[in-house]
Amino acid sequence: MSPNTIRGFLALLSAALTIAAAPARAQMPAWEQQLYEAAKKEKQFTVYTAHYDTETIADLCMAFDKKYPGVKCNFVRTTAQVAFQRFQQDLQAKLAVASVFSSTDVSHYPDLKKRGLLMTYQPHNLARMVDSLKQYNDKDNDYWVTAAALVVIAYNNSLVSEKDAPKKWTDLLDPKWKDKVSIGHPAFSGYVGTWTVLMRKLYGWDYFEKLEKNKPQIGRSINDTVTMLNSKERWVAAGPEATTLLSRDKGNPLSVIYPTDGTLLMVSPTGIPKSAPAPNAAKLFVEFLLDKEAAEVQVKNHSLSVIKGIKPAVGAKPLEEIKVIRPTEEEITKGIPEVKEKFRDTFGV
Amino acid sequence: MNEGIARRAAAVAPSAAPSAFGQWWLHLDKLSWVWFLAIALLLFLVVNPLLRLLVVSFQQPDTGAFTLANYAAAYSRSRYLDALAKSLILGVSSASLCLLFGVPLAWAVSRTDMPGKGLIWVSILGTFIIPPYLGAVGWMLLAGPNAGWLNRLFIVLTSVDKGPFNIYSMTGLVLVTACYSFPYVFVFTKSALDLVSSEMEDAANILGCGNLRTTLSITLPLVLPAILAALILVFLEAIALFGSPALLALPGRFHVVTTQLWQFFEYPPKVGVASAYAMPLLCITIFLFWLQRRITHRKGYVSLTGKGGERRPIKLGGWKWPMLGYCLFVCTLSFFMPMVVICQAALAKAWGRGFSLDNLTLDNLYFTLFENTLTRNATINTFVYAGSAALIAVALALCVAYIVNRQLVGKNLGNVLSFLTMAPFVIPGIVLAIGFYAAYTRPPLLLYGTAWILILAFATRFLPIAYANTNAAIRSINPELEDAVRILGGTRFTAIQRVVAPLLKRSLAGAFILVFIPGTRELSSAIFLSSINTQVLSVLLFDKSDEGNFEMLAAIGLILVIITVAFILIGFRLMGRDFMLRRTAA
Repeated sequence: MSPNTIRGFLALLSAALTIAAAPARAQMPAWEQQLYEAAKKEKQFTVYTAHYDTETIADLCMAFDKKYPGVKCNFVRTTAQVAFQRFQQDLQAKLAVASVFSSTDVSHYPDLKKRGLLMTYQPHNLARMVDSLKQYNDKDNDYWVTAAALVVIAYNNSLVSEKDAPKKWTDLLDPKWKDKVSIGHPAFSGYVGTWTVLMRKLYGWDYFEKLEKNKPQIGRSINDTVTMLNSKERWVAAGPEATTLLSRDKGNPLSVIYPTDGTLLMVSPTGIPKSAPAPNAAKLFVEFLLDKEAAEVQVKNHSLSVIKGIKPAVGAKPLEEIKVIRPTEEEITKGIPEVKEKFRDTFGV
Repeated sequence: MNEGIARRAAAVAPSAAPSAFGQWWLHLDKLSWVWFLAIALLLFLVVNPLLRLLVVSFQQPDTGAFTLANYAAAYSRSRYLDALAKSLILGVSSASLCLLFGVPLAWAVSRTDMPGKGLIWVSILGTFIIPPYLGAVGWMLLAGPNAGWLNRLFIVLTSVDKGPFNIYSMTGLVLVTACYSFPYVFVFTKSALDLVSSEMEDAANILGCGNLRTTLSITLPLVLPAILAALILVFLEAIALFGSPALLALPGRFHVVTTQLWQFFEYPPKVGVASAYAMPLLCITIFLFWLQRRITHRKGYVSLTGKGGERRPIKLGGWKWPMLGYCLFVCTLSFFMPMVVICQAALAKAWGRGFSLDNLTLDNLYFTLFENTLTRNATINTFVYAGSAALIAVALALCVAYIVNRQLVGKNLGNVLSFLTMAPFVIPGIVLAIGFYAAYTRPPLLLYGTAWILILAFATRFLPIAYANTNAAIRSINPELEDAVRILGGTRFTAIQRVVAPLLKRSLAGAFILVFIPGTRELSSAIFLSSINTQVLSVLLFDKSDEGNFEMLAAIGLILVIITVAFILIGFRLMGRDFMLRRTAA
């Protein structure tokens, strides 16, 4: 074969491939196609995430790989503090690993931003976001809400009937729940920290003085409450909606109540570090998180969809029907260190 | 046996010496290079990270200027001091309990004709393999004050309305800690007892002592160094443990040093304060070493001499059933009961529904092993890293133990080496990890992100176990055996290779296993040093405990236990079938 024949053959081949790929490409707007091409050159990227459990982020990465073949999604799933610690370690060692950083501790982001470590980017899919969540995005486009979840009242329905179950947060103070309440620790869990700030805001610190009379079981993570309810060690809890419902899906005897005095909304932002080894793939992943495929995976795993027009999972209430409340970012950032101290004074740990 | 060694020693003696250079070369102790290498490795693995820790404790976080503020912050609060006191209580109580559990069992398995020794041995092995926090989770379900199985059983049996057991208490924490630490005492004591010949006991018997008195005044004192070393290890392990206290102490409403340390790493992390707060642990280690030296000073513990001895099991007569009962009791606490709980969860669709046939499934196990590439890779990594770490640790520990015991370096340097080898144990894993990180993530030693940083961290962390074990073994070998080789013209290397190593083969295998097992379950340092491609099972386990997914947690734990047990049993097979119940030393 002469070089010309080979060249001709290759041209034909690539033309054929282009035609084959055309339907997929046709749906992609120009900006997305550009990002995708640039990301393909970077081949792969790594997400540091505390947003999801291992299965959910594995599903998300798989969905991403399917949607954008040729760009490999890796993830390191840890708790928020560990993710943050590692990210800092990487920076110190000048060994950038993370292209996407997703922590559940909202106080991490202003800090990273202040130190100029985050990349500014305006995701095209931001327009799709549920309106009530838009206020939690960074106004300078340094980080964006990509995950949302609820803190609810959970109970073991083999021990407590729906009629008797607590309906609002103050019901947990009822003496009939003495030795039967389970909560997490604000020093170990961002969810519990924010919940503590919210309770203090609604009812004053008095809420916890009274709660202590019921001798709640204090775990670390908010997810520990799920274990405590399943083991029947405790009957009712201030727990996470997603993990509780996931455990219920397996057949465990758990139910959730959306408190009438307000269900706590947790929003978790994602940012792209300036040091990202694969910045284009990172941008593409953020767009992906704000798109339909990712939302469906999240809803299937009982996280909330952050974009409009996605049906909630079976058994979960749609966000519009729930009275959600959330302290302001300032109240949270300033409040968490304070309530950690007060919590230790009141509960002794 | 001793004749064999003498013959071997004679055979390896050089027959002719060719030239002057040859002469010089022959008499040069080439082994000194090995010593230098061992010392350099210790500097690299222990001194550098420890030094970083010490420096950081006196530094201002931003400027790096000298300050005492970290110490002021670490010791200014009664809450922090209280946690220190709680850790000491925990350490002393669980070490004592370990003694009660470990020594009688070791004696029974090593020296008596008690039935069921194999079963006891395997259950202790199983206990050792269960990660302590997995055991703690099992115990939460057994002895939870409201719904624990034991409490429910108690209520059914006695018809009172509240059971007596509460795992969320200091007593509960001590019990759980002891359950998963006593195998150290057992293994150390047993391997030392295996080397004591019956002759000394015979002598006591002839002089009119009963079995009990002989055991207490002859046998056990002979293995005192091993028991002491093990006690120090379990004490240090108890105060450096993170998982079980985090699970049990918080709901029990108290803190220990490690849970307190964890809080210093909250955002923003106060590494300086944490380092300052970790210093008492180091001081305690130094004190314990000094104490150990004082107690065993100037007494002779050489029990393995060139003169062979016979080891006969002591006949227990009617006492063998109570003895077996006690052994089974300890194993039930530490192994059988928690394993039932873990198996139930691992095999359940929804463990909250309890026992029933339609709730049984193998999906959790299948998913963990075959469908999830993450757990599959982590399984392979776990065993490769633990194995490599164990090899490195045992080799290094053997070198140091030999140098120190044969006084190849000055006495003071020997003490320092010995201390350095033991020091890593008391550094909480999380602090060791930070030290490692600080030391080995910048050029010229870029180890972060590779398997090596995990392997070296594991090797460092469990170096003390390897050392305590090899040290006790070397001590029990009379230098006269090596002297025979040297007199006959062999080099020290020959003596080690042909005499010491064969004699120590089993002790070294034991040391290897003792490092390998904690390597497979090591959590606190792995959590910071592992990365995407270097995941290990312990970290995945910990993640699961954080995710409230107890079925998967139990499945991963069960797989870890089963594979490790299988590996070790295969190892025993390869090393000879009388490994566990042999009668003679070599």
